[in-house]
Amino acid sequence: MTTLYERLGGEKAVDAAVELFYRRVLADGRIARFFDGVDMDQQIAKQKSFLTMAFGGPNAYSGLDMRNAHKRLVEKGLNDSHVDAVIENLNSTLRQLGVPEKEVREVAALADSVRADVLGRSAA
Amino acid sequence: MRLTYRDRPVDVAPGETVLDALLRAGVEAPCSCRAGQCQTCLHRATEGVPPPESQNGLTPAQKSLGYFLACICRPSEPLTIAPPDDAGARIEAVVRALEFLSHDVLRLRIEAERFAYRPGQFLELIAEEDLRRHYSLASHPEEDPFLELHIRLHPNGRMSRRLKADLRPGHRVHVAGPRGTCFYEGVDKEQPLALIGAGTGLAPLYGVLRDALRQGHHGPIRLYHGARERKGLYLTEELQALAGMRDNVEYVSATLDSGGDIAALALEREAPRVAETAFFLCGGENLVKRLKRDLFMAGASLKAIRSDAFTPASG
Repeated sequence: MTTLYERLGGEKAVDAAVELFYRRVLADGRIARFFDGVDMDQQIAKQKSFLTMAFGGPNAYSGLDMRNAHKRLVEKGLNDSHVDAVIENLNSTLRQLGVPEKEVREVAALADSVRADVLGRSAA
Repeated sequence: MRLTYRDRPVDVAPGETVLDALLRAGVEAPCSCRAGQCQTCLHRATEGVPPPESQNGLTPAQKSLGYFLACICRPSEPLTIAPPDDAGARIEAVVRALEFLSHDVLRLRIEAERFAYRPGQFLELIAEEDLRRHYSLASHPEEDPFLELHIRLHPNGRMSRRLKADLRPGHRVHVAGPRGTCFYEGVDKEQPLALIGAGTGLAPLYGVLRDALRQGHHGPIRLYHGARERKGLYLTEELQALAGMRDNVEYVSATLDSGGDIAALALEREAPRVAETAFFLCGGENLVKRLKRDLFMAGASLKAIRSDAFTPASG
């Protein structure tokens, strides 16, 4: 039984996706403001670890890490519509790379699984 | 296995990571993903070689300087390590020459024994205990017997006053470093190079340009230098002469007082080959941040953009 991460192509697949994904996010007027003033090199490393998690790859994020990392953004108004926008951009990046629909949905579900923590809510 | 962290011994248990060893020893080492992805736990080995897998995802420049990710580093030899921004020990240097390159840019040449660096890195110049600033290196360690810094003088700046009023050849200062990853490493010799800077951002680019040529770079090189005013450009004649002698070097300048915006000009001219080019961006924070974003959005890979943003001195 191969894992989702292996089926997608592992670290190579993350590397292929990360810049395309980050470029889409920065070009998206709904969410671009949350990235104003950030160091782009540090941010791309964070995007890479986010994609690794969403691809089902190795990570050791705790809910608390996710909460702390996004706390400042929640104070700036981060809400469900922004999480939706990020997942939309993730989906279109994967489709652009020719990832099959089944895997696109699995990745979206994994990304969605941290929504409550990202938004600082108690899990539903 | 024994680590040395800032002069302090730290034991690493068999199979343990450097991050876990540091945390166990009470060092407040930052971390997040703990899986070698997010780079929050970046450290640098100043002695010893970190295992290659602990450098996964880092740039060639970072690797060459011994940077590694503590959360996936299980060392196989003793390491001396430091946080990523640690400037290291200070050493003494002697002032050799001070000369104006333009109305407000001073060229300071100093000599220090055993100061290893790559052209384009920066150092900390320490004039007094509480008077220290970062300056980029325009010199080349194999060509120049001195360290060369280009320093913009500010009418009310403390370092500026000190340099102008007091420092003379033969005087002693201290330096620490070097730091920074904006140097010629991990570039393909055939690759187009775009060196873009404003003001004293020329200093590191000048160092990188000479290093690239010395290492036999034969892809096209374009050096863009911008300034607010015409009189703010410097080394113009040398750079024009260099471009005249080398088929693959082009020198482009623009000044705001004659309607030229170096960032816009560079972006427009580099657009057709933006995905293949290696970029070096140096200068004020606004210029560097804007260019980095614009080049990335135009299709440049972030891995191909090396940058050094100058921040104003505080105090």
